Amino acid sequence: MTALLDIRGLTIRAGDKPLVSDLSFAIRPGERIGLIGESGSGKSMTAMAATGLLPPSISATGSIELDGRQVVGATDKVMNRLRGVAAAVVFQEPLTALDPLMKIGRQIAEPVRRRMERDGGKASKEAVNREVRDLIDKVALPQPDRIINSYPHEVSGGQRQRVAIAMALACRPKLLIADEPTTALDVTTQAEILKLLDRLVRETGMALLFISHDLPVVAQVVERVIVLKNGIAIEEGPVGSVFGKPHHDYTKTLVGAARLFDEALGTTGS
Amino acid sequence: MSPVETSVSTQKRRHSLALTVGLLLVGINLAVALLTLFWTPYDPLNASGGRLEAPSLLHWLGTDRLGRDLLTQLMIGARTALLVGTGAVAIGAAIGVSLGVVAAFATRLADDVMAATLDILIAFPTLLLAMLVVAASDSASLWTAILALGLAISAIVARLTRILAKRVLRQDYIVASRTSGTSWAGVVFRHVLPNIWPTLSVNFALQFGLAVIAEASLSYLGLGAPPPNASWGRLLQEAQGTVYTAPIGAIAPGIALVALVIGMNLLADGLRDIADPTRGRSR
Repeated sequence: MTALLDIRGLTIRAGDKPLVSDLSFAIRPGERIGLIGESGSGKSMTAMAATGLLPPSISATGSIELDGRQVVGATDKVMNRLRGVAAAVVFQEPLTALDPLMKIGRQIAEPVRRRMERDGGKASKEAVNREVRDLIDKVALPQPDRIINSYPHEVSGGQRQRVAIAMALACRPKLLIADEPTTALDVTTQAEILKLLDRLVRETGMALLFISHDLPVVAQVVERVIVLKNGIAIEEGPVGSVFGKPHHDYTKTLVGAARLFDEALGTTGS
Repeated sequence: MSPVETSVSTQKRRHSLALTVGLLLVGINLAVALLTLFWTPYDPLNASGGRLEAPSLLHWLGTDRLGRDLLTQLMIGARTALLVGTGAVAIGAAIGVSLGVVAAFATRLADDVMAATLDILIAFPTLLLAMLVVAASDSASLWTAILALGLAISAIVARLTRILAKRVLRQDYIVASRTSGTSWAGVVFRHVLPNIWPTLSVNFALQFGLAVIAEASLSYLGLGAPPPNASWGRLLQEAQGTVYTAPIGAIAPGIALVALVIGMNLLADGLRDIADPTRGRSR
Protein backbone atom coordinates (compact mmCIF):
# COMPACT_ATOMS: atom_id res chain seq x y z
CA MET A 1 0.00 0.00 0.00
CA THR A 2 1.43 3.38 -0.93
CA ALA A 3 1.84 5.92 1.80
CA LEU A 4 -0.45 8.94 2.04
CA LEU A 5 2.29 11.07 3.48
CA ASP A 6 5.84 9.97 2.81
CA ILE A 7 8.56 12.09 4.37
CA ARG A 8 12.15 11.19 3.53
CA GLY A 9 15.27 12.94 4.76
CA LEU A 10 13.39 16.11 5.60
CA THR A 11 15.58 18.93 6.88
CA ILE A 12 14.08 22.27 7.77
CA ARG A 13 16.28 25.28 8.35
CA ALA A 14 15.76 28.82 9.52
CA GLY A 15 18.80 30.51 8.06
CA ASP A 16 21.70 28.27 9.16
CA LYS A 17 19.97 26.83 12.16
CA PRO A 18 18.42 23.40 11.52
CA LEU A 19 14.95 23.02 13.07
CA VAL A 20 14.39 19.48 11.83
CA SER A 21 17.22 17.18 10.73
CA ASP A 22 16.91 14.23 8.39
CA LEU A 23 13.42 13.22 9.48
CA SER A 24 11.77 10.27 7.74
CA PHE A 25 8.40 8.68 8.34
CA ALA A 26 5.35 7.59 6.43
CA ILE A 27 1.63 7.52 7.09
CA ARG A 28 -0.54 4.99 5.29
CA PRO A 29 -4.22 5.68 4.57
CA GLY A 30 -6.26 5.32 7.76
CA GLU A 31 -3.21 5.14 9.99
CA ARG A 32 -2.99 7.20 13.18
CA ILE A 33 0.41 8.52 14.12
CA GLY A 34 1.56 10.77 16.95
CA LEU A 35 4.43 13.21 16.70
CA ILE A 36 5.73 13.96 20.18
CA GLY A 37 8.26 16.37 21.54
CA GLU A 38 8.66 19.43 23.70
CA SER A 39 8.01 22.87 22.26
CA GLY A 40 10.65 23.91 19.78
CA SER A 41 11.38 20.34 18.76
CA GLY A 42 10.17 20.97 15.21
CA LYS A 43 6.80 19.21 15.36
CA SER A 44 4.70 22.06 14.02
CA MET A 45 7.31 22.93 11.40
CA THR A 46 7.06 19.39 10.08
CA ALA A 47 3.28 19.76 9.79
CA MET A 48 3.60 23.11 8.02
CA ALA A 49 6.18 21.65 5.65
CA ALA A 50 3.81 18.77 4.83
CA THR A 51 1.20 21.24 3.59
CA GLY A 52 3.79 23.47 1.92
CA LEU A 53 3.03 26.40 4.21
CA LEU A 54 6.41 27.15 5.74
CA PRO A 55 7.09 30.87 6.19
CA PRO A 56 9.29 32.27 3.39
CA SER A 57 12.26 32.66 5.75
CA ILE A 58 12.29 28.94 6.50
CA SER A 59 13.45 26.43 3.92
CA ALA A 60 12.89 22.70 3.59
CA THR A 61 15.05 20.14 1.80
CA GLY A 62 14.51 16.44 1.30
CA SER A 63 11.36 14.82 0.05
CA ILE A 64 7.76 15.12 1.18
CA GLU A 65 5.23 13.21 -0.87
CA LEU A 66 1.64 14.01 -0.06
CA ASP A 67 -0.88 11.78 -1.80
CA GLY A 68 1.77 10.86 -4.37
CA ARG A 69 2.82 14.40 -5.17
CA GLN A 70 6.04 16.16 -4.24
CA VAL A 71 5.48 19.05 -1.84
CA VAL A 72 9.02 20.39 -1.46
CA GLY A 73 9.46 23.06 -4.11
CA ALA A 74 5.91 22.69 -5.41
CA THR A 75 4.16 25.78 -6.75
CA ASP A 76 1.22 27.31 -4.97
CA LYS A 77 -1.11 26.20 -7.74
CA VAL A 78 -0.19 22.55 -7.29
CA MET A 79 -0.37 22.84 -3.52
CA ASN A 80 -3.79 24.50 -3.55
CA ARG A 81 -5.18 21.42 -5.24
CA LEU A 82 -3.66 19.22 -2.54
CA ARG A 83 -4.57 21.33 0.47
CA GLY A 84 -7.87 20.32 1.93
CA VAL A 85 -8.09 17.38 -0.47
CA ALA A 86 -5.11 15.38 0.70
CA ALA A 87 -4.63 16.99 4.09
CA ALA A 88 -6.41 19.43 6.37
CA VAL A 89 -5.11 20.95 9.58
CA VAL A 90 -6.60 21.70 12.99
CA PHE A 91 -4.55 24.22 14.92
CA GLN A 92 -3.66 24.73 18.55
CA GLU A 93 -5.27 28.07 19.22
CA PRO A 94 -8.92 27.91 18.15
CA LEU A 95 -9.56 31.64 18.60
CA THR A 96 -6.83 32.87 16.28
CA ALA A 97 -7.48 30.11 13.76
CA LEU A 98 -10.91 31.57 12.97
CA ASP A 99 -11.50 34.84 11.14
CA PRO A 100 -12.80 37.19 13.87
CA LEU A 101 -15.02 39.16 11.47
CA MET A 102 -16.73 36.25 9.72
CA LYS A 103 -19.76 34.47 11.08
CA ILE A 104 -19.09 30.83 11.94
CA GLY A 105 -21.67 29.53 9.47
CA ARG A 106 -19.91 31.29 6.62
CA GLN A 107 -16.48 30.10 7.74
CA ILE A 108 -17.59 26.49 7.61
CA ALA A 109 -19.43 27.09 4.34
CA GLU A 110 -16.23 28.25 2.58
CA PRO A 111 -14.43 24.86 2.51
CA VAL A 112 -17.77 23.08 1.96
CA ARG A 113 -18.44 25.10 -1.19
CA ARG A 114 -14.90 24.62 -2.42
CA ARG A 115 -15.10 20.86 -1.99
CA MET A 116 -18.47 20.67 -3.75
CA GLU A 117 -17.12 22.64 -6.70
CA ARG A 118 -14.00 20.50 -6.71
CA ASP A 119 -16.10 17.34 -6.88
CA GLY A 120 -17.64 18.70 -10.04
CA GLY A 121 -21.06 19.38 -8.58
CA LYS A 122 -22.70 22.76 -8.45
CA ALA A 123 -22.65 24.20 -4.95
CA SER A 124 -26.19 25.43 -4.47
CA LYS A 125 -26.91 27.52 -1.42
CA GLU A 126 -29.27 24.91 0.02
CA ALA A 127 -26.80 22.07 -0.46
CA VAL A 128 -24.03 24.06 1.21
CA ASN A 129 -26.27 25.03 4.12
CA ARG A 130 -27.41 21.45 4.57
CA GLU A 131 -23.81 20.27 4.64
CA VAL A 132 -22.83 22.99 7.14
CA ARG A 133 -25.62 21.86 9.48
CA ASP A 134 -24.55 18.27 8.98
CA LEU A 135 -20.99 19.11 9.97
CA ILE A 136 -22.12 21.10 13.02
CA ASP A 137 -24.12 18.05 13.97
CA LYS A 138 -21.12 15.76 13.43
CA VAL A 139 -18.87 17.74 15.75
CA ALA A 140 -21.70 17.82 18.32
CA LEU A 141 -22.07 21.59 18.55
CA PRO A 142 -25.19 22.59 20.46
CA GLN A 143 -27.74 25.15 19.21
CA PRO A 144 -26.73 25.09 15.53
CA ASP A 145 -28.85 28.14 14.71
CA ARG A 146 -27.08 30.28 17.25
CA ILE A 147 -23.61 28.96 16.33
CA ILE A 148 -24.11 29.60 12.61
CA ASN A 149 -24.96 33.24 13.26
CA SER A 150 -22.28 33.84 15.89
CA TYR A 151 -18.87 35.40 15.55
CA PRO A 152 -15.93 33.37 16.92
CA HIS A 153 -15.56 35.55 20.02
CA GLU A 154 -19.14 34.81 20.98
CA VAL A 155 -18.66 31.07 21.55
CA SER A 156 -16.50 29.15 24.02
CA GLY A 157 -12.99 27.82 23.40
CA GLY A 158 -14.12 24.20 23.14
CA GLN A 159 -16.87 25.18 20.72
CA ARG A 160 -14.38 27.14 18.62
CA GLN A 161 -12.18 24.06 18.37
CA ARG A 162 -15.20 22.03 17.27
CA VAL A 163 -15.82 24.66 14.60
CA ALA A 164 -12.20 24.36 13.48
CA ILE A 165 -12.58 20.58 13.30
CA ALA A 166 -15.80 20.96 11.33
CA MET A 167 -13.94 23.21 8.86
CA ALA A 168 -11.20 20.61 8.46
CA LEU A 169 -13.80 17.84 7.99
CA ALA A 170 -15.62 19.96 5.40
CA CYS A 171 -12.70 19.35 3.06
CA ARG A 172 -13.09 15.55 3.48
CA PRO A 173 -9.31 15.16 3.66
CA LYS A 174 -7.49 11.85 3.45
CA LEU A 175 -5.16 13.00 6.21
CA LEU A 176 -6.06 15.14 9.21
CA ILE A 177 -3.15 16.96 10.79
CA ALA A 178 -4.00 17.97 14.34
CA ASP A 179 -1.39 20.39 15.66
CA GLU A 180 -1.75 20.43 19.46
CA PRO A 181 -5.53 20.61 19.12
CA THR A 182 -6.22 20.29 22.84
CA THR A 183 -3.38 22.28 24.37
CA ALA A 184 -5.30 25.55 24.66
CA LEU A 185 -8.30 23.87 26.29
CA ASP A 186 -9.10 22.92 29.85
CA VAL A 187 -8.89 19.27 30.89
CA THR A 188 -12.59 18.44 30.63
CA THR A 189 -12.92 20.04 27.21
CA GLN A 190 -9.68 18.34 26.19
CA ALA A 191 -11.17 14.94 26.88
CA GLU A 192 -14.30 15.76 24.88
CA ILE A 193 -12.36 17.03 21.88
CA LEU A 194 -10.12 13.95 21.97
CA LYS A 195 -13.15 11.68 22.04
CA LEU A 196 -14.64 13.61 19.16
CA LEU A 197 -11.45 13.42 17.08
CA ASP A 198 -11.09 9.71 17.82
CA ARG A 199 -14.70 9.04 16.78
CA LEU A 200 -14.47 11.13 13.61
CA VAL A 201 -11.22 9.55 12.50
CA ARG A 202 -12.68 6.07 12.98
CA GLU A 203 -15.96 6.96 11.25
CA THR A 204 -14.45 8.62 8.19
CA GLY A 205 -11.42 6.36 7.95
CA MET A 206 -9.02 9.24 7.44
CA ALA A 207 -5.42 9.10 8.53
CA LEU A 208 -4.35 11.19 11.50
CA LEU A 209 -1.12 12.96 12.29
CA PHE A 210 -1.48 14.04 15.88
CA ILE A 211 1.09 16.52 17.12
CA SER A 212 1.44 17.04 20.86
CA HIS A 213 3.82 17.38 23.76
CA ASP A 214 1.33 15.62 26.00
CA LEU A 215 1.99 11.88 26.22
CA PRO A 216 -1.32 10.72 27.77
CA VAL A 217 -3.24 12.74 25.20
CA VAL A 218 -1.32 11.21 22.31
CA ALA A 219 -1.67 7.71 23.70
CA GLN A 220 -5.45 8.02 23.61
CA VAL A 221 -5.80 8.56 19.89
CA VAL A 222 -2.86 7.10 17.97
CA GLU A 223 -1.39 3.69 17.21
CA ARG A 224 2.21 4.61 16.53
CA VAL A 225 4.39 7.43 17.86
CA ILE A 226 7.50 9.24 16.78
CA VAL A 227 9.47 11.06 19.48
CA LEU A 228 11.22 14.20 18.30
CA LYS A 229 13.98 16.00 20.13
CA ASN A 230 15.72 19.08 18.73
CA GLY A 231 14.44 18.17 15.30
CA ILE A 232 15.77 14.60 15.38
CA ALA A 233 13.57 11.51 15.58
CA ILE A 234 14.97 9.56 18.49
CA GLU A 235 12.42 6.84 18.95
CA GLU A 236 9.60 5.34 16.94
CA GLY A 237 7.17 2.50 17.39
CA PRO A 238 3.74 1.37 18.60
CA VAL A 239 2.32 3.40 21.50
CA GLY A 240 2.46 0.51 23.95
CA SER A 241 6.11 -0.35 23.47
CA VAL A 242 7.44 3.19 23.25
CA PHE A 243 5.63 4.32 26.38
CA GLY A 244 5.85 0.96 28.17
CA LYS A 245 9.53 0.28 27.50
CA PRO A 246 11.16 3.48 26.33
CA HIS A 247 14.71 2.98 25.05
CA HIS A 248 15.97 6.47 24.72
CA ASP A 249 16.77 8.52 27.83
CA TYR A 250 14.75 11.44 26.57
CA THR A 251 11.65 9.31 26.09
CA LYS A 252 12.18 7.90 29.58
CA THR A 253 12.27 11.42 30.98
CA LEU A 254 9.08 12.35 29.10
CA VAL A 255 7.28 9.23 30.30
CA GLY A 256 8.59 9.75 33.81
CA ALA A 257 7.48 13.36 33.86
CA ALA A 258 4.01 12.42 32.66
CA ARG A 259 3.77 9.71 35.33
CA LEU A 260 4.91 12.07 38.08
CA PHE A 261 2.36 14.62 36.94
CA ASP A 262 -0.41 12.04 37.01
CA GLU A 263 0.61 10.85 40.44
CA ALA A 264 0.65 14.43 41.69
CA LEU A 265 -2.89 14.79 40.44
CA GLY A 266 -3.87 11.56 42.11
CA THR A 267 -4.97 9.93 38.89
CA THR A 268 -3.47 7.18 36.83
CA GLY A 269 -4.00 8.84 33.48
CA SER A 270 -4.76 6.56 30.62
CA MET B 1 -24.56 48.62 38.80
CA SER B 2 -20.83 48.13 38.94
CA PRO B 3 -18.49 50.89 37.72
CA VAL B 4 -17.42 48.75 34.78
CA GLU B 5 -20.95 48.40 33.52
CA THR B 6 -21.53 52.12 33.87
CA SER B 7 -18.50 53.01 31.80
CA VAL B 8 -19.46 50.51 29.12
CA SER B 9 -22.95 51.90 28.81
CA THR B 10 -21.78 55.53 28.72
CA GLN B 11 -19.30 54.59 26.07
CA LYS B 12 -22.01 52.97 24.01
CA ARG B 13 -24.23 56.01 24.33
CA ARG B 14 -21.38 58.29 23.31
CA HIS B 15 -20.73 56.20 20.22
CA SER B 16 -24.32 56.16 19.13
CA LEU B 17 -24.52 59.92 19.74
CA ALA B 18 -21.47 60.43 17.51
CA LEU B 19 -23.13 58.36 14.82
CA THR B 20 -26.41 60.28 15.09
CA VAL B 21 -24.78 63.71 14.93
CA GLY B 22 -22.49 62.59 12.11
CA LEU B 23 -25.39 61.16 10.12
CA LEU B 24 -27.37 64.35 10.70
CA LEU B 25 -24.59 66.71 9.55
CA VAL B 26 -23.62 64.65 6.51
CA GLY B 27 -27.30 63.90 5.76
CA ILE B 28 -28.25 67.60 5.74
CA ASN B 29 -25.32 68.30 3.46
CA LEU B 30 -26.29 65.51 1.10
CA ALA B 31 -29.95 66.59 1.07
CA VAL B 32 -29.01 70.18 0.28
CA ALA B 33 -26.62 69.06 -2.44
CA LEU B 34 -29.31 66.89 -4.06
CA LEU B 35 -31.84 69.70 -3.76
CA THR B 36 -29.64 72.09 -5.76
CA LEU B 37 -29.89 69.73 -8.72
CA PHE B 38 -33.58 70.62 -9.00
CA TRP B 39 -34.12 73.86 -7.17
CA THR B 40 -32.21 76.78 -5.69
CA PRO B 41 -33.74 79.83 -3.99
CA TYR B 42 -32.35 82.12 -6.67
CA ASP B 43 -30.41 81.97 -9.91
CA PRO B 44 -26.84 81.28 -8.76
CA LEU B 45 -25.26 83.14 -11.69
CA ASN B 46 -27.20 86.39 -11.75
CA ALA B 47 -27.82 89.19 -9.30
CA SER B 48 -31.06 88.85 -7.43
CA GLY B 49 -30.75 91.84 -5.11
CA GLY B 50 -28.55 94.75 -4.18
CA ARG B 51 -24.81 94.34 -3.51
CA LEU B 52 -23.78 93.05 -0.09
CA GLU B 53 -27.27 93.07 1.36
CA ALA B 54 -27.59 92.07 5.00
CA PRO B 55 -29.55 88.88 5.81
CA SER B 56 -33.28 89.38 5.36
CA LEU B 57 -36.40 87.33 4.81
CA LEU B 58 -35.81 87.48 1.05
CA HIS B 59 -32.10 86.63 1.27
CA TRP B 60 -31.56 84.56 4.42
CA LEU B 61 -27.82 84.99 4.29
CA GLY B 62 -27.73 88.26 2.37
CA THR B 63 -26.03 88.79 -1.00
CA ASP B 64 -22.45 88.92 -2.23
CA ARG B 65 -20.51 91.70 -3.97
CA LEU B 66 -22.28 91.05 -7.23
CA GLY B 67 -25.73 90.93 -5.65
CA ARG B 68 -26.07 87.13 -5.89
CA ASP B 69 -27.93 85.27 -3.16
CA LEU B 70 -25.38 83.85 -0.70
CA LEU B 71 -27.58 80.96 0.46
CA THR B 72 -27.84 79.75 -3.13
CA GLN B 73 -24.05 79.88 -3.50
CA LEU B 74 -23.60 78.07 -0.22
CA MET B 75 -26.00 75.31 -1.25
CA ILE B 76 -24.22 74.74 -4.52
CA GLY B 77 -20.96 74.76 -2.59
CA ALA B 78 -22.27 71.78 -0.61
CA ARG B 79 -22.68 69.89 -3.88
CA THR B 80 -19.14 70.73 -4.94
CA ALA B 81 -17.72 69.71 -1.58
CA LEU B 82 -19.48 66.31 -1.60
CA LEU B 83 -18.45 65.68 -5.19
CA VAL B 84 -14.82 66.48 -4.45
CA GLY B 85 -14.76 64.43 -1.25
CA THR B 86 -16.45 61.39 -2.78
CA GLY B 87 -14.49 61.56 -6.02
CA ALA B 88 -11.12 62.03 -4.38
CA VAL B 89 -11.70 59.25 -1.83
CA ALA B 90 -13.00 56.89 -4.54
CA ILE B 91 -9.90 57.44 -6.67
CA GLY B 92 -7.63 57.27 -3.63
CA ALA B 93 -9.29 54.08 -2.39
CA ALA B 94 -9.21 52.32 -5.76
CA ILE B 95 -5.53 53.03 -6.38
CA GLY B 96 -4.43 52.94 -2.75
CA VAL B 97 -6.04 49.67 -1.69
CA SER B 98 -4.85 47.84 -4.82
CA LEU B 99 -1.29 49.11 -4.41
CA GLY B 100 -1.30 48.39 -0.69
CA VAL B 101 -2.47 44.79 -1.10
CA VAL B 102 0.09 44.20 -3.86
CA ALA B 103 2.83 45.64 -1.63
CA ALA B 104 1.76 43.37 1.23
CA PHE B 105 2.33 40.34 -1.02
CA ALA B 106 5.41 41.67 -2.82
CA THR B 107 8.93 40.32 -2.36
CA ARG B 108 11.13 42.03 0.18
CA LEU B 109 12.86 44.25 -2.38
CA ALA B 110 9.71 45.31 -4.26
CA ASP B 111 8.01 45.98 -0.95
CA ASP B 112 10.87 48.17 0.26
CA VAL B 113 10.87 50.14 -2.98
CA MET B 114 7.12 50.65 -2.79
CA ALA B 115 7.22 51.65 0.87
CA ALA B 116 9.98 54.19 0.23
CA THR B 117 8.15 55.64 -2.77
CA LEU B 118 4.96 55.98 -0.76
CA ASP B 119 6.83 57.64 2.10
CA ILE B 120 8.28 60.20 -0.31
CA LEU B 121 4.86 60.83 -1.84
CA ILE B 122 3.30 61.29 1.59
CA ALA B 123 6.11 63.60 2.73
CA PHE B 124 5.24 65.82 -0.25
CA PRO B 125 2.51 68.26 0.88
CA THR B 126 -0.89 67.23 -0.47
CA LEU B 127 -1.83 70.75 -1.41
CA LEU B 128 1.42 71.31 -3.29
CA LEU B 129 0.95 68.06 -5.19
CA ALA B 130 -2.60 69.03 -6.05
CA MET B 131 -1.45 72.49 -7.20
CA LEU B 132 1.19 70.90 -9.43
CA VAL B 133 -1.34 68.60 -11.08
CA VAL B 134 -3.85 71.41 -11.53
CA ALA B 135 -1.20 73.78 -12.87
CA ALA B 136 0.10 71.14 -15.26
CA SER B 137 -3.31 70.52 -16.81
CA ASP B 138 -4.46 72.90 -19.59
CA SER B 139 -7.51 74.22 -17.81
CA ALA B 140 -8.35 74.21 -14.15
CA SER B 141 -11.50 72.21 -13.66
CA LEU B 142 -13.21 70.47 -10.82
CA TRP B 143 -12.05 67.14 -12.20
CA THR B 144 -8.35 67.97 -12.20
CA ALA B 145 -8.71 69.02 -8.57
CA ILE B 146 -10.48 65.74 -7.75
CA LEU B 147 -7.87 63.70 -9.59
CA ALA B 148 -5.02 65.54 -7.90
CA LEU B 149 -6.48 65.05 -4.43
CA GLY B 150 -7.31 61.43 -5.24
CA LEU B 151 -3.69 60.73 -6.15
CA ALA B 152 -2.45 62.34 -2.95
CA ILE B 153 -4.93 60.30 -0.90
CA SER B 154 -3.99 57.08 -2.69
CA ALA B 155 -0.46 57.23 -1.30
CA ILE B 156 -1.74 57.52 2.27
CA VAL B 157 -4.32 54.77 1.74
CA ALA B 158 -1.74 52.50 0.09
CA ARG B 159 0.64 52.79 3.02
CA LEU B 160 -2.11 52.11 5.53
CA THR B 161 -3.48 49.18 3.51
CA ARG B 162 -0.01 47.67 3.21
CA ILE B 163 0.56 47.70 6.96
CA LEU B 164 -2.94 46.48 7.83
CA ALA B 165 -2.87 43.72 5.20
CA LYS B 166 0.55 42.55 6.38
CA ARG B 167 -0.74 42.30 9.90
CA VAL B 168 -3.77 40.28 8.84
CA LEU B 169 -1.65 37.99 6.65
CA ARG B 170 0.40 37.01 9.70
CA GLN B 171 -2.69 35.78 11.56
CA ASP B 172 -3.26 32.10 12.22
CA TYR B 173 -6.60 32.07 10.47
CA ILE B 174 -4.90 32.94 7.20
CA VAL B 175 -2.68 29.87 7.54
CA ALA B 176 -5.74 27.87 8.61
CA SER B 177 -7.64 29.08 5.58
CA ARG B 178 -4.69 28.30 3.31
CA THR B 179 -4.41 24.75 4.64
CA SER B 180 -7.98 24.13 3.52
CA GLY B 181 -7.04 25.20 0.01
CA THR B 182 -8.05 28.87 -0.22
CA SER B 183 -6.17 30.64 -3.01
CA TRP B 184 -4.41 33.95 -2.36
CA ALA B 185 -7.17 35.81 -4.19
CA GLY B 186 -9.70 34.12 -1.93
CA VAL B 187 -7.67 35.10 1.11
CA VAL B 188 -7.62 38.74 -0.01
CA PHE B 189 -11.35 39.01 -0.68
CA ARG B 190 -12.70 36.79 2.12
CA HIS B 191 -10.30 37.61 4.93
CA VAL B 192 -7.93 40.51 4.30
CA LEU B 193 -10.31 43.14 2.93
CA PRO B 194 -13.14 42.49 5.43
CA ASN B 195 -10.65 42.58 8.30
CA ILE B 196 -8.94 45.81 7.29
CA TRP B 197 -12.20 47.50 6.25
CA PRO B 198 -13.15 48.92 9.70
CA THR B 199 -9.83 50.76 9.97
CA LEU B 200 -9.77 51.74 6.30
CA SER B 201 -13.29 53.17 6.33
CA VAL B 202 -12.41 55.45 9.22
CA ASN B 203 -9.39 56.62 7.29
CA PHE B 204 -11.51 57.19 4.18
CA ALA B 205 -13.81 59.46 6.16
CA LEU B 206 -10.80 61.33 7.52
CA GLN B 207 -9.40 61.72 3.99
CA PHE B 208 -12.82 62.85 2.82
CA GLY B 209 -12.71 65.72 5.31
CA LEU B 210 -9.15 66.60 4.34
CA ALA B 211 -10.07 66.53 0.64
CA VAL B 212 -12.98 68.91 1.24
CA ILE B 213 -10.65 71.29 3.07
CA ALA B 214 -7.95 70.92 0.41
CA GLU B 215 -10.46 71.70 -2.34
CA ALA B 216 -11.54 74.81 -0.42
CA SER B 217 -7.88 75.82 -0.22
CA LEU B 218 -7.36 75.23 -3.94
CA SER B 219 -10.46 77.24 -4.76
CA TYR B 220 -9.35 79.95 -2.41
CA LEU B 221 -6.14 80.15 -4.39
CA GLY B 222 -8.08 80.18 -7.64
CA LEU B 223 -6.92 76.66 -8.63
CA GLY B 224 -10.12 74.79 -7.86
CA ALA B 225 -13.46 74.66 -9.53
CA PRO B 226 -13.74 77.59 -11.93
CA PRO B 227 -16.94 79.69 -12.04
CA PRO B 228 -19.83 79.04 -12.37
CA ASN B 229 -19.21 76.14 -9.92
CA ALA B 230 -19.61 77.68 -6.52
CA SER B 231 -17.18 76.41 -3.95
CA TRP B 232 -16.92 77.24 -0.28
CA GLY B 233 -13.25 78.04 -0.79
CA ARG B 234 -14.06 80.59 -3.47
CA LEU B 235 -16.86 82.08 -1.37
CA LEU B 236 -14.33 82.57 1.42
CA GLN B 237 -11.89 84.18 -0.96
CA GLU B 238 -14.54 86.48 -2.40
CA ALA B 239 -15.67 87.48 1.09
CA GLN B 240 -12.11 88.33 2.08
CA GLY B 241 -12.27 91.96 1.00
CA THR B 242 -15.53 92.66 2.73
CA VAL B 243 -15.06 90.61 5.88
CA TYR B 244 -15.53 93.66 8.13
CA THR B 245 -18.55 95.11 6.36
CA ALA B 246 -20.33 91.81 5.63
CA PRO B 247 -18.82 89.11 7.92
CA ILE B 248 -21.63 86.65 7.16
CA GLY B 249 -20.03 86.09 3.74
CA ALA B 250 -17.00 84.49 5.44
CA ILE B 251 -18.74 82.98 8.45
CA ALA B 252 -21.40 81.03 6.55
CA PRO B 253 -19.10 79.01 4.23
CA GLY B 254 -16.66 78.55 7.11
CA ILE B 255 -19.34 76.98 9.28
CA ALA B 256 -20.59 74.85 6.41
CA LEU B 257 -17.07 73.54 5.79
CA VAL B 258 -16.40 72.74 9.43
CA ALA B 259 -19.83 71.12 9.88
CA LEU B 260 -19.31 68.73 6.96
CA VAL B 261 -15.80 67.74 8.05
CA ILE B 262 -16.81 67.18 11.67
CA GLY B 263 -19.93 65.32 10.57
CA MET B 264 -17.86 63.02 8.36
CA ASN B 265 -15.42 62.24 11.17
CA LEU B 266 -18.21 61.49 13.64
CA LEU B 267 -19.90 59.28 11.09
CA ALA B 268 -16.66 57.37 10.58
CA ASP B 269 -16.30 56.83 14.30
CA GLY B 270 -19.83 55.50 14.58
CA LEU B 271 -19.48 53.30 11.52
CA ARG B 272 -16.34 51.66 12.82
CA ASP B 273 -18.21 50.41 15.86
CA ILE B 274 -20.82 48.84 13.63
CA ALA B 275 -18.32 47.40 11.17
CA ASP B 276 -16.30 45.65 13.87
CA PRO B 277 -18.44 43.10 15.74
CA THR B 278 -15.73 42.47 18.34
CA ARG B 279 -15.94 46.04 19.59
CA GLY B 280 -18.56 47.39 21.94
CA ARG B 281 -20.59 44.18 22.03
CA SER B 282 -21.52 42.61 25.28
CA ARG B 283 -19.33 39.69 26.16
